[in-house]
Parts: sequence; C-alpha cells; structure tokens
Amino acid sequence: MNDIALTENLVAAGRAHVVRRFGMKDARFHGLTAAAALLVIAIFGGVIVSLIIGALPAIRQFGFSFLYSEAWNPVTEKFGALASIYGTLITSALAMIIAVPVGIGIAIFLTEICPRPLRRPIGIAIELLAGIPSIIYGIWGLFVFAPAFQTTLQPWLIRLASDIPFLRNVLAGPPYGIGIFTASLILSIMILPFISAVTRDVFETVPPMLKEAAYGLGCTTWEVMWRVVLPFARSGVVGGAMLALGRALGETMAVTFVIGNAHHIQSSIFAPGTTISATIANEFSEAVGDLYISSLIEMGLILFFITFVVLAAAQLMLRALERRAGGLS
Amino acid sequence: MNRRLYAKRKGFNALFLTLSVLAAVFGLVWLALILGELCYNGFSSLSVRLFTEMTPTSGAEGGLLNAIVGSLMMSAIAVAAGTPLGLMAGTYLAEYGRHTRLAFLVRFVNDILLSAPSIVTGLFIYEIVVTKMGHFSGWAGAAALTVIVIPVVVRTTENMLLLVPNGLREAAAALGAPRSSVIRAVTWRAARAGILTGVLLAIARISGETAPLLFTALNNQFWSTNLNAPIASLPYVIYYFAMSADEGWHRLAWAGALLITATVLSLSIIARILESSKRS
Amino acid sequence: MDAPVQDKVKVDIRNLSFYYGTSQALKSITLPLLDRKVTAFIGPSGCGKSTLLRVMNRIYELYPRQRAEGEVMLDGENILDSGQDINLLRSRVGMVFQKPTPFPMTIYDNIAFGIKLYERMPRSELDGRIEVALQRAALWGEVKNKLRESGLSLSGGQQQRLCIARTVATKPEIILLDEPCSAPDPISTAKIEELIDELSNEYTIVIVTHNMQQASRTSDYTAFMYLGELVEYGPTEKIFTAPDNKRTEQYITGRFG
Repeated sequence: MNDIALTENLVAAGRAHVVRRFGMKDARFHGLTAAAALLVIAIFGGVIVSLIIGALPAIRQFGFSFLYSEAWNPVTEKFGALASIYGTLITSALAMIIAVPVGIGIAIFLTEICPRPLRRPIGIAIELLAGIPSIIYGIWGLFVFAPAFQTTLQPWLIRLASDIPFLRNVLAGPPYGIGIFTASLILSIMILPFISAVTRDVFETVPPMLKEAAYGLGCTTWEVMWRVVLPFARSGVVGGAMLALGRALGETMAVTFVIGNAHHIQSSIFAPGTTISATIANEFSEAVGDLYISSLIEMGLILFFITFVVLAAAQLMLRALERRAGGLS
Repeated sequence: MNRRLYAKRKGFNALFLTLSVLAAVFGLVWLALILGELCYNGFSSLSVRLFTEMTPTSGAEGGLLNAIVGSLMMSAIAVAAGTPLGLMAGTYLAEYGRHTRLAFLVRFVNDILLSAPSIVTGLFIYEIVVTKMGHFSGWAGAAALTVIVIPVVVRTTENMLLLVPNGLREAAAALGAPRSSVIRAVTWRAARAGILTGVLLAIARISGETAPLLFTALNNQFWSTNLNAPIASLPYVIYYFAMSADEGWHRLAWAGALLITATVLSLSIIARILESSKRS
Repeated sequence: MDAPVQDKVKVDIRNLSFYYGTSQALKSITLPLLDRKVTAFIGPSGCGKSTLLRVMNRIYELYPRQRAEGEVMLDGENILDSGQDINLLRSRVGMVFQKPTPFPMTIYDNIAFGIKLYERMPRSELDGRIEVALQRAALWGEVKNKLRESGLSLSGGQQQRLCIARTVATKPEIILLDEPCSAPDPISTAKIEELIDELSNEYTIVIVTHNMQQASRTSDYTAFMYLGELVEYGPTEKIFTAPDNKRTEQYITGRFG
C-alpha cells in the first residue's frame, strides 16, 4: 500500500513539473492566435486609414464637389468622381436586374425540376462560372462578345428602339460593341453563381413539411415556390443577392476591358462609360501628380465605403438566417 | 371547381418552370461559350515556347516564362505568409474566441475583406509599401496577394474546425492535454483535409488576381527574379497584351488565359473532391 | 489477505451543485467514492449522472456558462479550487466517453499521445508501454500487426477499447466511464466488463450506465440518482436486493425510467 502511494506521489510531482510548462505553452499559443485575429482587424483598419490619408489632398482640394462633379481632366487637374460612381452603380444595377431572376430561376431548376442525377454536375458547372478568373471574362468580352454583339444584335436593337420614345435614348447608337451594357451583361454572368448557390442553399433549409403542406392544398410547383419557399427563404436570397452586388460593385478586370473608359454620363446604355474600379485600373500606374493619384485613391475610398455598406448588410441577413436554421450558434 | 382558373394556374406553372429551365440553359450556354472560345484560342496559341522564352517586344515572337515565374514566386510567398496567419486567426475564432466580442468583430471584418474589391487591396499596398519603398516591386505584389489569401484561409479554417466534434476535444482534454496540444495534435489533424481545401481555394483565388498587381508589382518585360524590383506576372501580362493592338501579343494573352483558367479550375475541382471526401 | 479495515475514501463529494446557465442539474450531492472500488451511477436519462461524472475531471469547463458549486475532495484536496491545475487533474482522472473517440492518427500514436504529454522516454520503453496498455484493454491481439494504421479503421467496439487503452496508458488514479458500452456489440461489451473488473484492482472506477445488469455485474457500490438528486447510495448488492427507497426499487425493477 505505502509503496504504491509513494510512487503515486513521485508521479504526481513529475507531472506538476510538466504542467507548469503547459501553462506557458498554452498562454503563448493562445496569444499567437489572438494576435493573428487582431491582424485581420488591423488589415481592415489599415485599408481605411491608408486610403483616407492617400485621399486627403483630393478631399482638401475638391471637398464634396468631388462626389457630384463630372469633370475629369488630368491636364487642368480638375477631378470629379460622378461619372465613375454613376458607371459603377448603373453597371451593377443592370447586372442585378439580369442576374437576380436568372439566378433564382437556376436555383428553382436545380432544386425542383432537374433530374436528380444531373443536379450535381449542373450545379458544379454553374459554380464553375464563379471559378473563372475575372480577367478571362474581360478578354473574352473584348475579343469575342463585343465584336459579335456589335455586328449582329446591337444594330438591330438600336434600329428597333429608334421609334420608341424612351427606349430611343436608352438604346442609342452607334454600335461600339463595348460599353455600359456589355460590361453589365458580363458582370451579370460573373455574379450569377453567387446568387444561385446561396439561393439553392437557403431553399434547402425550407422544412419539407411546409412544402408538403402547400402541395397538399393542391398548389402547383410554381405556387409552392413563389408563395411558400421564396417568402420563407427571403432574407437568405436577399443576402445572397447583396453579396453578389458587393462583387459586382468592386469587380475590376472584367469591366475594364469592355467599358470603354469614357468619363461622361450618357443616357444610352450602349455608350462607353467607366466605373470607379476601371478608372483606377486604367489610370493609376500612369497617373502623374499628387492630386491625380490622390483623386484616384479617394475614388477607391468611395468604392470601399459603398461595398462595405452592401457587404455588411448581406452579412447581417445571412447571419440571421444561419441562427434561425440553427447552424452556428 | 373552376376549370378556367385551374387551367390558368397550370399555364402559369408551365410558363415559370420553362423560364427556370431557360435560366439554367442561359448559365450553361455562357459557360460553354467562354470555355469553348478560351480553349479554341488558347490551344491554338499554346506551344513549348511559352515556357522557355521571355515576353517579347511588340511584333516579335516569344513566350511567357518570366511572367509565369513571377506569378509563381509572388503566389508562393503569399501562400507561405498568409496560410499560417489565416490558420491562427481561424483557430482563434473556432477554439478560443467562439463567443467573444473580439471574435464577432473579426468574423465580421474578415467576411468583408473576403468580398471587398481587390483593387482596393492594391491601393492599400501601394500606400503602405510602394510609396514607402519609392518604387513598384515583387514584394509589394506578394504583400497584396497575402492580404487576399488571409481571409480565405481564416474563413475555411474556422468552418472546418467547427465541424470537428466536441467529443474529440473532450477526449484529448480528458487525458490531461493542455488546450494548445489538443488543438495542434487533434483538432487541426481532424480538420486537415478541410484546411487544405481552404489553402487550395486561396491559391486558385490569387492565381487569377490582376487588379491588386497593377500598381504593386507592375510588370517587367525581362527575366527577373528580383523581388525588390517590378516583376512580371501572368495576369498582368494578359491584361497588357490584350489591351494592345499587336496580334502576336493577343495570341500570347489567350495562351496565358488558358493556363490560368486550367490552373484555377483544376485547383477548385481538387478542393471540391477533398471537401466531399471529408463530408462523407 | 484482505484486511477487514474500512475502505479508504478516494473522492469525497460534498454538497455538490451544478448549473447549466441558470438551470440546476445537480442538487447538493454528497457521496464518497472508495479507493480501488467500482462505483456505478444509475438513473433515468437526465438525472444528472453524466453531469456528475463530468465534474470530477472538470471537463465541463470547456464550455461557457457551466459551473459547479460545493466540494469534490480528491485525496483531501478540493479539485474545484481555482488554484488546482486542470491539466494535472485530468491526467490523474481519466475518462472514457459514450461514443468512441479515436484521434485521427495511427493506433500507436493514439496511445503515445497521452503518454508523451507527461513523460519523456526512449522509444523502446514507449513501445513497451503501448503494448501493455493494449493488452490490458484486450486489444493487443487484434491490432498488434497494424499499429501504424489509423485508429479510425477499427470497428466501434475496438475503437472503444482503444480509448480505454489510451486512458490506462497515462496511468491515472481514477477512471471515469460514461456509458462505455452503448455501442451494440455484445463481444466488446463482455470484454469491457471483464476489463473493468480487472482494472478495479488498481484504479478507482466510476461507471455511468443505463444497463441495470451491467451495474449489478461490474460495481461494488451503486448510487441511484433522480432529477439531479442522489436518492440512494450503498453496496451494489444491497441496492439491487433490498433498497431503502421506494423509487430506487421501482427503477431497478424496471417500473419506470
């Protein structure tokens, strides 16, 4: 008995020694992970602070007029972001008008219509669209889509619209191929998979009982989707769409290739224009003079602010949904 | 029973279901057009010279070797730097922080960075690296890519660690293992495939990134492995060549585009296989 | 020769209460656990028997908002004191869980992990320790040729014995078993019960079980719990043949639970 007790004490003493090292190891590891987590915040803060500092000269020079002036003249150093802001908003809006219904349609197709064995392959194929780098969209849009559009559909559309009062201005020629509309269409293809993937995922969180109950009342598939599933999944679908909007607003390369880089606001969506990101991409490395560079950085700051608001809203919606689905607590 | 109403409802149903089929066709057609055109132009421009010769001057012949090497170097640095940082931050979120306010904030900020415009990342690095160094450089390009890698790794690491059953953590802790050993020896190992998926996705993401390199690494027409100077990268060269009027450059741009897309898509497919093998 | 002296108390639980947030799961439990004896906790689901087990190695502290009040004296020291080192405590109080929890590593490393936490030794000695542990868990014959394979490749019952081997290998003083035979595998169950019997010569063992026969077969003492309270505690034979409390009698005869 005593012998065993003695060995136990020795073992315990040896362990106590080891345990002291554990405390240090634990504290160090915990500290390292917390430091890495803080680094993420530091990067975020760094982006904001560095952009504000870089934008200061332009902010001092132009004040609020930067936001509503369309002027963009590197020679006289008069800069206003309105044309770029307008281009960013209009291309994203058009892209959303196309991508939201199509994306939801794809999600309905994948969850309700598609034969089971084809669901995975088609789902993956659609998601591949998100995997293609944006520069590929750009080069394809410039070399393939724009010339084809310019020679076929675009002249026809312009002729068709020429007699219709409002459309006459919106779809006005000449047919360049590139321009606001082409950029918007390419953006819509790029963000399509974001919308359809999120929508499909939230559709799958709809309790089967709810759908069965609606079918039990004699509803058609469409009525079940429109009246039951979509309202139930609304915040998720909106969240997914906002996420996609965030991408569209900030997308650079796909747009830069095909937007035409013109600092004017025109009524026609076939006219060339520019977006914030395209302006920065096109002009930054060749910009001369502090005020020019500073103006471009201020545009970056504006872009970051806009996308921040959109992405934050998207997150809040998707988080609320996650909580409801009982995924993460 | 109102037959006309019922017929109308059935008609609506058929109409909208047809529209959703068309939506799927819409998506698939674009995918086919883009990939088809890419393969057609890419393969016809593909040759061994791409990997043996430097980017040419306008009108001359050449390859993409310096751009490929530049991309590989910057990507490797970005992954080497971004993976451990992202892994540690993701570990904090899943293991230590979970319900703390700091974790909530980090999660929020990280998801913003994940989708924030990459061109803004370029501006950020320009401000803190390029203006301080006084010139464009490979280091600046690598730093910009690192900033893109980190949030991807953080997000997947946290998600994958949360999938590890608590029973495993309890079992390791019940042996008297300190928290750090539980995490490193057991939790990380259990989530290994998932974390690797995140790293692959991060590599896929930065392989095609162009915007953050435009005014950080810039470009270099010649062979250079000096990270202290401007360095070529595949996406930049594609952009630069495609925007030119030179036919030979256009062909090289297509070939480069094919290389990048093949890399990115195979990485995403490997990641997907890893992920699904983990789930089953 | 067994000395007829009174058994030594290894763990003395005094007025222990436990809370999950605001709901109370244990209500002022007082209970001795005797050295080198097997004590079984029985009772219907939700009675707090697993919770009581989880207090004894403070594993509940992995989660926020769970707390214990009262005293759990292990060899005269209160393990609930904030000064107690939690890792050291857990190295002295081993635990085997309801579901097998092999780590995602080889069979060999599963066992080596626990040993190497607290001890440094030459490879040959480590090999020996691992063999002994596997033999004690009646698993050596089945795995001796595949020590380098993943612990996850074993069957459910084998995985559970691997977890027992892992716990035994770290040389704890107390072993807590939380429904270790819930997997429907009669052969493994028989082996594990044999094992408990054998281990009780050296270790203080606490077993939580749903299975009345198992409690009566394996334990020396039995504690019956109901709704977070200790209803009755005594020698197993007495609890199962002549319980003092009516509810205990109803439970062991299967009239509720």
